[in-house]
Amino acid sequence: MTDVLTRRDLLRRAAASGAFLTVPGVLAACGGSSSKSSSSGSDHTLAKTLHFSNWPLYIDVDEKTKKHPTLDMFTKKTGVSVQYVEDINDNATFFGKIQGPLSRGQSIDRDIIVMTDNSRYPSLLIKKGWVEKLDKSAIPNFKNLEPALQHPNWDSNRDYSLPWQSGLTGIAYNEKLTDPVLTVPDLLDNPKLKGKITLLQGMGDTMPLIFAANGDDPEKVTDASWERAIKVVKKAVDSGQIRQFTGNDYSGPLAKGDLSACVAWSGDVVQLQADNKHLKWNLPKEGGGIWTDNMLIPKGGNVYTASVYMNFVYEPHIAALIEDYVNYICPVKGAKQELEKIDPSVANNTLIFPTNAMLDNAHNFDAAALNNEKYITEWQNLISS
Amino acid sequence: MGFLHRHQNLTPYLLLAPGLLYLGLFFVVPLGFLAYQSLESGSFDVGYAFTWAWGNYWDAIQNYRGHFIRSLEYAAIATLLALLFSYPLAYWIAFRGGRWKNLLLLFIVAPFFVTYLIRTLAWETILADQGLVVRVLRDVGILGHDGRLLATSTAVVAGITYNFFPFMALPVYVSLEQIDERLIEAAQDLYASRWKAFIRVTLPLSLPGVVAGTLLTFIPAAGDFINAQLLGSPKNHMIGNVIQSKFLELTDYPAAAAMSFVLMAAILLMVAVYARAVGTEKLTG
Amino acid sequence: MTAVPIAERMPRESAVSRMWLFVKRHVLTVYAILAFVYLMLPIAVVIAFSFNSPKGRFNYTWDGFTWNNWKNWDGVPGLRSAMVLSIEIALLASLIATALGTLIALALVRYRFRGRGATNLLIFLPLSTPEIVLGASLLTLFLNVTSAITFGFSTILIAHVMFCISFAVVTVKARLIGFDRHLEEAAMDLGANEWVTFRKVTLPLIAPAILAALLLCFAISIDDFVVTYFNAGPRITFPLFVWGAARVGAPPQVNVIGTTIFLVAVVAMVVNVLFQMRRERSAATT
Repeated sequence: MTDVLTRRDLLRRAAASGAFLTVPGVLAACGGSSSKSSSSGSDHTLAKTLHFSNWPLYIDVDEKTKKHPTLDMFTKKTGVSVQYVEDINDNATFFGKIQGPLSRGQSIDRDIIVMTDNSRYPSLLIKKGWVEKLDKSAIPNFKNLEPALQHPNWDSNRDYSLPWQSGLTGIAYNEKLTDPVLTVPDLLDNPKLKGKITLLQGMGDTMPLIFAANGDDPEKVTDASWERAIKVVKKAVDSGQIRQFTGNDYSGPLAKGDLSACVAWSGDVVQLQADNKHLKWNLPKEGGGIWTDNMLIPKGGNVYTASVYMNFVYEPHIAALIEDYVNYICPVKGAKQELEKIDPSVANNTLIFPTNAMLDNAHNFDAAALNNEKYITEWQNLISS
Repeated sequence: MGFLHRHQNLTPYLLLAPGLLYLGLFFVVPLGFLAYQSLESGSFDVGYAFTWAWGNYWDAIQNYRGHFIRSLEYAAIATLLALLFSYPLAYWIAFRGGRWKNLLLLFIVAPFFVTYLIRTLAWETILADQGLVVRVLRDVGILGHDGRLLATSTAVVAGITYNFFPFMALPVYVSLEQIDERLIEAAQDLYASRWKAFIRVTLPLSLPGVVAGTLLTFIPAAGDFINAQLLGSPKNHMIGNVIQSKFLELTDYPAAAAMSFVLMAAILLMVAVYARAVGTEKLTG
Repeated sequence: MTAVPIAERMPRESAVSRMWLFVKRHVLTVYAILAFVYLMLPIAVVIAFSFNSPKGRFNYTWDGFTWNNWKNWDGVPGLRSAMVLSIEIALLASLIATALGTLIALALVRYRFRGRGATNLLIFLPLSTPEIVLGASLLTLFLNVTSAITFGFSTILIAHVMFCISFAVVTVKARLIGFDRHLEEAAMDLGANEWVTFRKVTLPLIAPAILAALLLCFAISIDDFVVTYFNAGPRITFPLFVWGAARVGAPPQVNVIGTTIFLVAVVAMVVNVLFQMRRERSAATT
């Protein structure tokens, strides 16, 4: 915890020393006092505002008013206004932004952030002690968590995290600009797609697809299978087949027509169809990726308020409302039934309710590989070659 | 008389003290920390220790040699292009501008009041694959029928040239504007043609501005990463992109710090070579 | 010795060579016009698209004209607070940097002292260091220093003042060099002490330089991205906001703000220039 100088101390020092020396000090006190929020979980009072950082295209939106109905419902129910910022574009980049303050024990002015389990960051945040424990007493709806997601190996008791959505990684393409792109080899070798495709910059996002296309198991990475995968990607980079490696920012160029196809996340394409109705998404034939995005409370966030919000979105009815919009895989039991009541046509939406065949064909990425320094460096050199 | 008048020797130091101390604290000291960090080894998970790890520098040069060379290349080409584009423009304003000189100068500078990122994003729109510019270039044959501008080195260099244009144009203009026109008249009176007068009189007199502009353009351009990120592909990434990701995303601080110093050394080397060729008094002061 | 007019020296010209002369005379002007078009092209795009009414999230293709973005400039969450933060920082940073820089410039121009070369070097170095190195080194400092400095407003401000000082020094120094010390000496001979002289003689005469330095620092600070990116912590300035928004589709309101900054700056500069032109004209006629 940081020591904040009291105003009196500062004034005394200002009188003694040169003015400029205390300018940073004064400002630190000003800045410091506003960014410290009560972080102890035992405090059961709601904050005035909930600061929620999330990925884009990841919550319900009213097309006309551009507001978020479920957030407004939360505000009406609890009186807490929500400052919703879509500033997470990629796990590594977002981590880069927050690691400075967190490593100094400072708050990042967020109560909830969302990071993906196919990156090393959720486990790293827990290991470093940079996230708070959830206040489970405020989350009775915790029991609605799908059994399959209850004991991930990086947070076995779900003490620090709660899934937001799960999703699939596959291939999106623009049917006006190209024939259907249904396999990874097609994406990487088809000369007609040269310079018009992107891959995801997260190692855990792209590699499952490459491994599957090579016939290797992404959930058990060996040096040999890693080499094979790297070779495939490197060839595509060197030949100019791959235009860029992106985070969520493939969405603009895809909608714009700069890209004919790209590795993309399942639910995004549905929302992008408002910009470009020719976009389609598929799980690659050889296999795609599956992942879960998790809500975490960074150090300094208001644990109680964040936990109350988490409880709110684990209400099947609310979960269904969000689901209807984002079209990802819902982690909340009972949401499916609610959704079918609200919007029966959605029951057949395989993006929200993937078939068992799809789930069998989608893989996690080996968590050990995510933390392997050699792989990390090789991957980074590749995407910035 | 006054206290300061009597203690004339003290005055300059008193005036300098606040500013220089500030720079010392927040410019020199951080560089010291950076240097210290560049000699550490370890990893983010377990922590870093100071081990005189000169290997970091060697690794930086070896592993990212391509990036360093590419950055210097792009920066040099962009600087040259900026010089070629801005010199005639500055000349026109200085010699043909008349009373409206300052207003015309405004037109050079005004576009650069729009935020750097917004300008670069506008180029992303202009150079879009489905946009007018690319379509015209394809029709005319300059680009292959499947050619594109975005995600190529052309777009990156074009972006850098545009964004650093005023850093070249303004110093060149200032030195051109200060040239006494009578000198040129005198040259012509001595039977020099307009072109000869330009080469022998105007150009040499404008050299200080050219030198200043070159430095002010080349140095920041070499460390840029935004143009490469927005307008380029991974094959066009500059050393700035690598440093940025090593620092913020990979949290590999020692490597990133070493790379920063190698970048500065590379820039200083180029500047030294350039200064030798042009004459060093033009640099500071 | 009188110069012989060029026309008398030339032989009689044919129509072709006269046309060639015409082209040569105007090629520079044509070039200048083309150059201006090139410089203004992205700006025109920015302004045009601020009136666009995009049907989806992305403001890339023209979908229809609307005033909504301008009426509803505030409609994007986070935009206003980013703008406010940028302006606050720019104001504070330019004031502090100009103050410190003016003092340094005064010392450099008017006094002989040991270490002048080193001082010049220290001022020049930040200008010649790539921004990424400035940002990264400050980040390293903040990460290693005790937790007294919170990532956020303070770190951004410290960074901005740092890189603005050199600009302020260079700007004020340029004007100070032509300053006539005799005016100050005359004032003191007439009985004014140093402080009064400074206030009534020196300050008004260097005021334009100080103003120029303030404006320059303000402009640089409000536009800074790289150094701020490294040191902002959780706070978001306007350029950082644009960067984030661009990843997911920058809303037209970003164009609106960009255009506004542009227009404000242009108006300010045009006023300044016209003012100067009038002053020069009146000075010439007296």
